Amino acid sequence: MDLFSESFGQALLLLEENGSDGMPPLLRPVQQDAASRFMAQGLPTIRHEDWKYTNLVPLSKRLFHVTAHDDREMLSHDVFREIRFSARCKYRAVMVNGGFRPDLSNLESLAHGLKVYSIRAASAAGHDDVANTLECSINRESALTDLNTAFLHDAVVVELGEGITVPEPLHLIFIGSGDASNFLRLPRVIIHASRNCSIRIIEEYVSVGHDQGLTNAVTEITLDEGATVHHHRLQVESREASHIGRIYATAAGNSRFLSDSVSFGASLARIDIDVALAEQGASCRLNGLFVAGGNQHVDHHTLIDHVVGNTHSDELYRGIIDERGRGVFNGKVIVRKDAQKISARQTSNNLLLSRYAEIDTKPQLEIYADDVICAHGATVGELDADASFYLRSRGMSEEDARALLTYAFAERVVEDIPVEGIRRWIENRFIRGGGYRDFMEALATA
Amino acid sequence: MLEIKKLCAEVDGTEILKGIDLRVCAGEVHAIMGPNGSGKSTLAHVLAGREGYTVTSGSAQFNGKSLLDLAPEERAGEGVFLAFQYPVEIPGVNNVYMLKAALNGIRVYRGERELNAVEFLKLVKSRVKTIGMDEKLLNRPVNEGFSGGEKKRNEIFQMSVLEPRLAILDETDSGLDIDALKTVANGVNALRDGQRSFVIVTHYQRMLDYIVPDYVHVLSKGRIVKTGGKELALELEARGYDWVNDEVAA
Repeated sequence: MDLFSESFGQALLLLEENGSDGMPPLLRPVQQDAASRFMAQGLPTIRHEDWKYTNLVPLSKRLFHVTAHDDREMLSHDVFREIRFSARCKYRAVMVNGGFRPDLSNLESLAHGLKVYSIRAASAAGHDDVANTLECSINRESALTDLNTAFLHDAVVVELGEGITVPEPLHLIFIGSGDASNFLRLPRVIIHASRNCSIRIIEEYVSVGHDQGLTNAVTEITLDEGATVHHHRLQVESREASHIGRIYATAAGNSRFLSDSVSFGASLARIDIDVALAEQGASCRLNGLFVAGGNQHVDHHTLIDHVVGNTHSDELYRGIIDERGRGVFNGKVIVRKDAQKISARQTSNNLLLSRYAEIDTKPQLEIYADDVICAHGATVGELDADASFYLRSRGMSEEDARALLTYAFAERVVEDIPVEGIRRWIENRFIRGGGYRDFMEALATA
Repeated sequence: MLEIKKLCAEVDGTEILKGIDLRVCAGEVHAIMGPNGSGKSTLAHVLAGREGYTVTSGSAQFNGKSLLDLAPEERAGEGVFLAFQYPVEIPGVNNVYMLKAALNGIRVYRGERELNAVEFLKLVKSRVKTIGMDEKLLNRPVNEGFSGGEKKRNEIFQMSVLEPRLAILDETDSGLDIDALKTVANGVNALRDGQRSFVIVTHYQRMLDYIVPDYVHVLSKGRIVKTGGKELALELEARGYDWVNDEVAA
């Protein structure tokens, strides 16, 4: 048994004894099953096709603290001053090391028809039925999803009623903290968007201090007929942390799922986005922007399943790799038998900023229908030397020219993000002191 | 202002400039003409500091500083501006933002205060009028989707905002129709103030109808083989370049 598995000794005992630790008791059998599956399989290895480029062996040699530790003494409202979050939203739910923090959250006077709650808090308040929310969505085959299910400490549930449009984004913040402590965080988000509703959700993963923990997050999104969910996933955990995340989205007829995945942080980041376009008229747009410098490793795997005909997908991922960073993009598209009249477009553009940087990009199309439009393209390039010289000959320093050209590469993804706060937050990662969007605003009104 | 002595330069191991001597004083306009492959554009790029152009010997002093030892942005800071023959398209970078970053880069180099957005945009507005550039082009990414004429006009617009001490125009007239040529020439003339100097690299005499040079140099096979006044350009237009070469050979 590797050290990683040993992390779960106590948690397993608790599960086996069927002891209540505050989670809904109805979940116990589900968690026990997930635990035994995970303990039997362990972490995926590079022998697994989907994990060919991302090696978890370093993680398997580490012991983690599994119990949630929400750092109540350490973490106060000051965190909102210390960290530059992507946006300031009226509604927010904050989890610290996997534990819900009502005192940092603001879920008062939510928009009509919107419910956001911690499953643990709801259970404590006697709402046993909340277990169903989780239970029905738990049947996913993945060792890491099993790991999340088995030992999760809490889950955030977002429910939006029929026909409701929420004008303001909902901000879900996951903070990892703890100096030099190996916390294993298992965030779980369950989003249910009812018929014809519309919502925008920002899911942001950050660190405070020298966070060396591991996040293994799972987000499940169900879109009923005609619903629209715009989901922004932002990952900026500490360069010493590790981050694994998975989104499962199921889109019913005429619903639309829009996803932005931005990954800047963590030493190792692996994000899987699985979308099932389950009924006619369903569509998705998956955009991504990832940056890896230093020794960072960032891997995105997306899977778009065109289950039936007349479904549409559009995907654009841009990766920027510097120093000894490594990026992976694997975009799988499945078009099921008889799923006619679908369209699927996929683009992966990558920018290598150093001779040691590496990117592996792979489109993977499995098409079992014949009347379809599928297109994919991948590019890997460097900064344009002519453009750099042009900017420098005008008076920009080499460093500024490089930063501006790198940001320009990212801009194509940024311009599709409708939240100005996120755009500025991204801009600040590239251009010292920002100022690009401010200037563009001044220009527009001049 | 600019004093080039025995300048030799090579590209990919091939010697292109074989001993250029040129002296440009404040306020002067020098035209450099010559057939294809004579080294005109190479000279322009060497002065702006483009990578891949290796200076093998000689010197270029600019206001007492050795230009060839400076990075491209430092040359800009000293007041050198190159209007490109083929302005680069840069998707995702706004035209005016780039210009603001450039101007502030130059101002920082000179120890001057950076301009804020309001101050800068005021300057831009006044220059747009001078150059007669379509304001819509300001909001677009640098040169992206610009017509040939718009690109050249954009170069002159940039020049008018950056206010260089020495402007090098590399075949700015090529690909321009007569109206665009006039606009570009008017822009250049508006910037002539008795102090600012110009080096105009061109194939044809026609731009020199509008921007009247003080000196015309003929570049051939990497050397300046003939220098004269503005009449020389007319003679070249009428007789071609061969007679100059013949004269040199004789």
